[in-house]
Amino acid sequence: MISDSQFYQALKQTFGFETFRPGQLEALKALGAGKDTLAVLPTGAGKTLIYELYGFLADQLVVVVSPLISLMQDQVATLSVRGEKRAAALTSMMTYNEKQAVLAHLNQYRFLFVSPEMLSQSAVLTAISRVQLGLLVVDEAHCISTWGPDFRPEYLLLGQIRHLLGDPLTLMATATATDHVKADIKAKLQLPDAEEIILPVDRQNIFLDVEKFEVLADKDERLETLVQQLKKPGVIYFSSKQKADEMAGYLNQKTTCHVAAYHADLDLETRFKVQQQFMLGQLDVICATSAFGMGIDKNNVRFVIHYHLPGDLESYWQEIGRAGRDGQPSIAILLYQPGDEQIAQFLSETTVPEPNEIDYYYHQKAPLAAPDNKANLIWFYRNHHVSLERVLAGFEKRREQRFRALQKMLAYVRISSCRREFIRSYFDQTDSEKPTHCCDNDEQLDISALGLEASDNERVQLASTDWQSIVTQLFAH
Amino acid sequence: MLDATQLLRFLSANTPRRLRVIENVLVGKRSVSTLYWGMRYAQLDWLGYDKRLSRTEVDQAAQSLVNDKLAVMADTKVKLTPEGLTTLNATSLYQPQALSVRLTVDISTFWQRFLLAIQVVSEASFENRQYYPLQVPWAVKQTIKRWFHQYREASLAEQFRTFLEAFLTSLPTTQANFLANLLVGHVQPGKTITQLAQTAEMSLAEATLIQTDLVCQLVQFIQQEQAPVFTTLLAGLVNSPVSQSALQTVQAYNQGQSLSTISQRRHLKDSTVREHLLEAAILEPLNAFDYERTLSPALQTKLADIFDQQSIDEWQFDQVAPLSLEFWQFRLYEILRSKQDDQ
Ligand SMILES: [Zn+2]
Repeated sequence: MISDSQFYQALKQTFGFETFRPGQLEALKALGAGKDTLAVLPTGAGKTLIYELYGFLADQLVVVVSPLISLMQDQVATLSVRGEKRAAALTSMMTYNEKQAVLAHLNQYRFLFVSPEMLSQSAVLTAISRVQLGLLVVDEAHCISTWGPDFRPEYLLLGQIRHLLGDPLTLMATATATDHVKADIKAKLQLPDAEEIILPVDRQNIFLDVEKFEVLADKDERLETLVQQLKKPGVIYFSSKQKADEMAGYLNQKTTCHVAAYHADLDLETRFKVQQQFMLGQLDVICATSAFGMGIDKNNVRFVIHYHLPGDLESYWQEIGRAGRDGQPSIAILLYQPGDEQIAQFLSETTVPEPNEIDYYYHQKAPLAAPDNKANLIWFYRNHHVSLERVLAGFEKRREQRFRALQKMLAYVRISSCRREFIRSYFDQTDSEKPTHCCDNDEQLDISALGLEASDNERVQLASTDWQSIVTQLFAH
Repeated sequence: MLDATQLLRFLSANTPRRLRVIENVLVGKRSVSTLYWGMRYAQLDWLGYDKRLSRTEVDQAAQSLVNDKLAVMADTKVKLTPEGLTTLNATSLYQPQALSVRLTVDISTFWQRFLLAIQVVSEASFENRQYYPLQVPWAVKQTIKRWFHQYREASLAEQFRTFLEAFLTSLPTTQANFLANLLVGHVQPGKTITQLAQTAEMSLAEATLIQTDLVCQLVQFIQQEQAPVFTTLLAGLVNSPVSQSALQTVQAYNQGQSLSTISQRRHLKDSTVREHLLEAAILEPLNAFDYERTLSPALQTKLADIFDQQSIDEWQFDQVAPLSLEFWQFRLYEILRSKQDDQ
């Protein structure tokens, strides 16, 4: 049992804060009392602080299961900046020897980040089970429910893995979850009695806006206008890397803003530079892909624009959660052109195999090193002795689920009543009040009335670029 | 990343060149035929420059030149038209100075080390411990940790400043600015290559080439200066351009072993042994290969008589039929003469 004053002391000592943000202390208290905990806290509420602080106090290894390598690397970097050097990410990008080096010295680490695929490898499991595990964290826990069956089946093994690790204390953390998803997470991790810490998903300072276009050219032109008009910094989401690259180039040319693309295809050097430029206020706008997490917090993002339609409301809500973490007025704009749902549906179903594919891969002799993701997926189920009928039925159900999720997303676009109320009822939260400026269905969008108009003196001045001054500035005298 | 403009630099207005050779050199295929023709096209410095290049990209680039009447193509052999040559000369493409360094140094790992080293030294000079380090492969991080530990007392900031000033002064100003803008340090995140391309209004392919060549020149500079702080950054990254297996073959050959002995001892096909020798002859400097063991001075004189006045690309194997040479010996002679011509 860890006392409140110990939590406050550690907060001061490691983070330099006096007070917790909503939900953090509640989650810590539950963990401190030894209760497995499901924390549903909006993006930016400081989920990571919970397990960092707990790890600090428990002084034992914390294993964090995380879906994206980029996210893990960012978290390790963030911990390192805070002075915690005993953190490592075990990723598929490391060589065998590098992984061995980490696994052989696990007792020297306090935080280990792993993907579910990595964690299901027996060498990794064995190494972790040899050390005293203080806490198992399942980050982005909604992946168990929304991604699990077709995208990352190893998520489904986490319940079993948890047993193999001796049922350690577990924190499941996510930003968004409907009642259904919450139940699903707890069921898959076999923790039906986990304590729930739930904060309202609503973000009152974000104005919700949807705009519709008949032709693509109008959409691009509107994007250009918005980027020029709106207070920066901002993030624009695309569903393809090529489009993100292309529009970053286009906006750089057409506006006076500094814009860069940010997605999983960038090399590490470029990714670092774009991140740091954005953090330091040298970039106004980032064109990102949805599948790519941005691990570094930036509190003053004023707008999040979606150029493409997301596949479901959970993803949408999580992505717009990057806006206005400082509590200041912000806006989420979705640009919709009829037909966009076909791209979304294609992307959303592209990972779900068709019945004939399932049948084909299931009956193949031994394509263990199959190059195809779908083949691997089906082999995963086959290797775990799931019958063909159940696999077929499972994916059929999955396809319907994805389709229904997209229909919900479309309903949000098409609705003519309050968008915020629609979201709240979707996430089963109907009890809070509406903000003064709510959504475009309640009042016509007026950027200046929202206090979101860019003023002229905001233009970012970039540092001079002659090599002499760069070299002079690089090193302190 | 090969566009039509970049393809221009690999073409000639005098003789048609094989598109597949140009492609294979860029992709890094090490067949003797690719290496030989790559040498004849003076394109070997580009070996493996663009490993992800696709055939479609190459074909599209060539087709676009043909459509614009800048080149003619027959049987995937491409030749510049007079307009093509004029365009090539007028485009003022960047002329790389040190690209061959790529063949002997792992420059991409070197660059990761160099960039991280500067960041670490820069932040240390501001006594800042809390910063986001560049994301690099684990091994690079370990190397720089050890490096910093080894040299931290050596007034690194001062050494780096002096070193960078010396190197950048040696470059034309635009190139010095280009390289300096890529650097990362305290509150200085550096520019991305895409941003530098945009600022200079050049293609990403051209900007990438400039970066690659400047990093090659940087490596050369370090190798000339021989200051331990910087040469240590190259430790373990310098390799022979010849593949490991071919090197062993050449070593045995230089020790005087017969080709059949080599193939028996190394469990290689006879043809593989010959390919290894040709690979080494092409990629190594003239004096590093014992040509006379296969081509005696007397034989060389006979060959020189046969091919008197004829340009190398026109030689035919039939012409040496009276000498009953093997094809690989004929090719070795072509290599020898190509190298002598370059001297
Ligand atoms: Zn509303």
